[in-house]
Amino acid sequence: MASRRRTLLKVIILGDSGYVNKKFSNQYKATIGADFLTKEVQFEDRLFTLQIWDTAGQERFQSLGVAFYRGADCCVLVYDVNVMKSFDNLNNWREEFLIQASPSDPENFPFVVLGNKIDIDGGNSRVVSEKKARAWCASKGNIPYFETSAKEGFNVEAAFQCMAKNALKNEPEEEM
Amino acid sequence: MKGISSAPGDYVHFKSQVPLHKISIGSKQWRYYDFGPKSVLPLICIPGIAGTADVYYKQIMSLSLKGYRVISIDIPQVWNHHEWIHAFEKFLDTINVHHVHLYGTSLGGFLAQIFAQHRPRRVKSLVLSNTFLETHKFAAAMPWSPIVSWTPSFLLKRHILTGIHDGPHEPFIADSVDFVVGQVEKLSREDISSRLTLNVNVTSVGPLLLPDSFITIMDTNDYCAVPQELKDQVSERYPGARRAVLKTGGDFPFLSRPDEVNLYLQLHLRRVGVEAKPALLQGVSGDGSSGSSSDEKKGGGHLDKPPEDHGSLGGGDGGDHQPQASGSEVHGLDEQFLSNREITSITLGTSFFLMQAPYIPSLLQFYMGALYVTWKRRSEFV
Repeated sequence: MASRRRTLLKVIILGDSGYVNKKFSNQYKATIGADFLTKEVQFEDRLFTLQIWDTAGQERFQSLGVAFYRGADCCVLVYDVNVMKSFDNLNNWREEFLIQASPSDPENFPFVVLGNKIDIDGGNSRVVSEKKARAWCASKGNIPYFETSAKEGFNVEAAFQCMAKNALKNEPEEEM
Repeated sequence: MKGISSAPGDYVHFKSQVPLHKISIGSKQWRYYDFGPKSVLPLICIPGIAGTADVYYKQIMSLSLKGYRVISIDIPQVWNHHEWIHAFEKFLDTINVHHVHLYGTSLGGFLAQIFAQHRPRRVKSLVLSNTFLETHKFAAAMPWSPIVSWTPSFLLKRHILTGIHDGPHEPFIADSVDFVVGQVEKLSREDISSRLTLNVNVTSVGPLLLPDSFITIMDTNDYCAVPQELKDQVSERYPGARRAVLKTGGDFPFLSRPDEVNLYLQLHLRRVGVEAKPALLQGVSGDGSSGSSSDEKKGGGHLDKPPEDHGSLGGGDGGDHQPQASGSEVHGLDEQFLSNREITSITLGTSFFLMQAPYIPSLLQFYMGALYVTWKRRSEFV
C-alpha cells in the first residue's frame, strides 16, 4: 500500500478575478496567464493531491490550450461578492469551460461556486447576496456554493474538501 | 524495426528545421540539438537510458517558438558519475554555456542531480521527471552488470525495451513508445552499455545547495519504469519542490503529453526567472507590433528575486492593445498557432498508429522474446 499511487485530482479555477493568486505571490506574468499549486487533502481516510489551476482572471484563457483543461476533475467558478459583473459572468465562465474542456458528461460535471472576498470592508461593500448566488447555483443543477475569504482562509478548507468529494464522484477507478 | 521510415510528420518537420550537432571533446562524442535565442539561459534536456536528444523534439519546437533556448543531448559514453560530471562540464564550456537549467528524465534526472550536487554554481534550476536518487535498486536487479560491456548489442536493446510498459496503450502513449523504440535501434552497443553501467554503479545523490523552490518534480501518475518508491524518495528529498504531476503519460510524457509537459516547463522557467525572448516570433505570427525593444532585461542576476508581476495582466479587461502587452499578444497568437499545429500532429499520429495496427503483433512478439532474456522485469529498468 505504501507505494500506491495517490489519486490526483485536477481542479480548474475560473472567474473574473484570480482566486488563489495571492498565494502565488505575484508570480503571474502576462505570457502564460495561469499557474498551479498542489495541495494534499484528506478525505474519508484517503489522501488526495489536488492540483489547482488558476487563470488569474484572464479573459483570453482560451489561449492556454488543451493542456490546461485536459483531465479536469472539477471546475471552480469564483466571483467577487463585491462586484456584480463578476457574478453575472459566472454563466459565461461555466459555458466557456464546458466548451473548452468538453467533458464527456457535461450535465453532471462537478462545479463548485465560490463567493469570494466576503471580508472586504466588513461585508459592507457586498453587492451580491448569498441568496441570489445560491439561487443561481440551484438553477444550474445544484452546484455546491461556498462563501470564502481567501485572504483570511475562511471556509477555504471546506471548499477544498468539497472539490475533492465532487471530483471523486466522477473519477472512474483507474486501472493500469 | 521499420517504424523509423514512417516517422511522425512533426518530427520530419523538426528535422528539417533544427540542425543536429556532433562534436568531439577529448575522447567523448557529443550529439545534441541547440535551438532558440542564444542570449537566453538554456534549458538542457537529458534523456534516460532509452532516449536520445531527439526524444525532446516536441519541447525544442514548442519552447523555442516561445523564445526559450532548448538544448537536448545524448548521454555520451561515460562509465561513471565522475566522468559524467567532467564530460558534461567540458561540454558546457565548449558550447560556451555557463549557467544552465536542467530537465532530466529517469537516468537523465539522476545525472542532472549529480551534476547539480557537484557543480552547484552552474545549475540554476532542475526539472526532475520520473527519476530517482540512488541506483542501488537497479544494481541489485541486474546481477549480470559486470558483463554488460561484453553483452551483444541485441541483448542490451532487448533488455532496455523490456523496461517499457507493454500493456495496451492509448494511441499517444503507443506512439511515444514506438518513437523511443526507433531511437533505441540507433544506439550503439557502447552507448547502451555505458548507460546501463551508469545506471547500476552504486551511487546516490547527496544534498544539493539548490533551494527546493528551484526544483520542479514532474512525474506521471499512471505508470513508468521507475518504481514508485524511488520516485517518492525524490519528492521526500525536496519537500519544497513544486509537484507538477501528470495524470497520465507513461514513460515518455515529453512525447505522449507534449502540451502539458511544455506548459509545465514554461511555468518552471518563468518561476525561476528565465526571460523568454519571443522577438523572433514576430515573423511567424505576422504581428507587426514592436516587441523586440522590450527585451531590455539582461539574463544575469535575475534569479535572486521572483519575477515581478508586470501589471499587464489586466490588459484583458479593456481589450486594449498597449505596447506593453504586445508580448502577450504575440504569445497568445502563437499559442493558438501552436495548439493548432499540435492538433494536426496528433491526428497524424493517430492515423499513423492505426495504419501500424497489423504490425503490432510483431512488436509484441519482440517484447515476448525479450522476456526470455531478462529475468526480472520492471523495476529493473529505466
